[in-house]
Amino acid sequence: MKRKTAFSALFSIIFIAAAWGQTQADAILGVWESGNGKARIKIDKAGDKYTGRIVWLREPNDEAGKPKVDKNNPEEALRTKPLLGYSMLKGFSYKGEKTWEDGTIYDPESGSTYSCTITMTDDNTLDVRGYIGVSLFGRTDVWKRVVVKKK
Amino acid sequence: MRIWLSIFVFAFALGAQGQEGDTAVVAEDFSMYADAELAGDAKRFCTSKVFDQSPNKLISLGYDFQGGHDLLIGVAEPLRVQAVHGIRLGSNFPVISKTNLLLNVGINYWEANYQIEKAENHPLARSLQNRGLRTTGVTATVFKPFNDKNFIFAQSVFDLNGDYYLPDFQSLTYTRVSGTVIYGWKKHDRLLYGFGVSRTYRIGEANYIPVFMYNYTAPSRKWGVESVFPARANLRRTFNARTLAFFGYELEGQTYRLSSLRGFDNIMNPELRRSELRIRFTFERSLKDFIWVSAQAGLRYNWSFNVDDGDFFRGFGNQPYALENDLSNALFFNVSVNLVSP
Repeated sequence: MKRKTAFSALFSIIFIAAAWGQTQADAILGVWESGNGKARIKIDKAGDKYTGRIVWLREPNDEAGKPKVDKNNPEEALRTKPLLGYSMLKGFSYKGEKTWEDGTIYDPESGSTYSCTITMTDDNTLDVRGYIGVSLFGRTDVWKRVVVKKK
Repeated sequence: MRIWLSIFVFAFALGAQGQEGDTAVVAEDFSMYADAELAGDAKRFCTSKVFDQSPNKLISLGYDFQGGHDLLIGVAEPLRVQAVHGIRLGSNFPVISKTNLLLNVGINYWEANYQIEKAENHPLARSLQNRGLRTTGVTATVFKPFNDKNFIFAQSVFDLNGDYYLPDFQSLTYTRVSGTVIYGWKKHDRLLYGFGVSRTYRIGEANYIPVFMYNYTAPSRKWGVESVFPARANLRRTFNARTLAFFGYELEGQTYRLSSLRGFDNIMNPELRRSELRIRFTFERSLKDFIWVSAQAGLRYNWSFNVDDGDFFRGFGNQPYALENDLSNALFFNVSVNLVSP
């Protein structure tokens, strides 16, 4: 009986720890606004990786009044792809201590893809650091969580 | 039995969570994200750039060359300067990069090596020929937005200018400090402007002048202006995000301590007030990803090449210079390879 109780307690601890870790990792899920306020990005989970798609643009249309496309993409075949819905964050894994690493961020304004680390500084703030090779050669953009009003 | 049931429920829950993330990607009504507000008490702040503004250069390795021209020192016969050339190294790293505060710090090193015919005929020409001119500086730039419209831009520069060599460095007591403070408005993503004051050596000697910052991109996104009057102004043509061209000018200047200048009883601490207006075309293009090349060519118009005794503020006074010189104008080019910021 004692052995059974100890086993149940151990399993409960493992279960709670796993659930807690999962909650921490998934804290990044949601909709975020970039530092310049030009875009909102929805971060989802696909398998064990975190990705982010553009779901809103302050200026959704180009100068001709048509929906913006990824015209600066170095791959010509992708230049007609709409920016709305575009995956700009890819391949992030949770590394503990509110940090997601090993991912990339795509900047549609330059057509460049950078290595990227995301750190959650509080529940509603992400430090998104894009860099070239090593973190020193980079820039941090601060994203704020947005609350979508339900219709 | 209860334990195995729990494990099954836990595993199913984890699986379901992953499934939820995947399916959320499939179909979505994007219009719902338009009606949203920042969580908590977060505020929006304006950024320091307008659309299509040229990228910030983290590291720059360049070479500058001026063609032949005449150097007229006082009333002596003009001397022929065959060339003035040298490397220009620069850096500008974001140290603090928050939505409500940006701080960039950079280190720069410029040199100008002179090739002068019959330089031995005059002490100033001899000094320039033998030692050249160097600038080593540290620049700190702050952009502080207060809200989504208003901001303060401040920049301070600490330069050591002179005819020193790196092993025989100039005393830091000769550091020249210049700075600019601008209060500005960001009207929208394509227009930013501001007014301020600057302590500057761009005309060779220390001066205090009003400045006007104006950065604009036309609705077509093909043309724009990047300027901080009167220091520089450029008309920008954007071919695409990786190819830019500019036409404009920059006023470059510094006061240089000439420790090797000898032979003048009336000059105890000789300082060369060098200032030149560079009217130029610039072409910038991304070679690959973050590596950009910049090529510049134009006319170098001499503004000042006089020598003073010490560093002081002349203001609107008409004190004579210790040595009044002149340079004829010259063509120049500048090429650089740059690592640009994300």
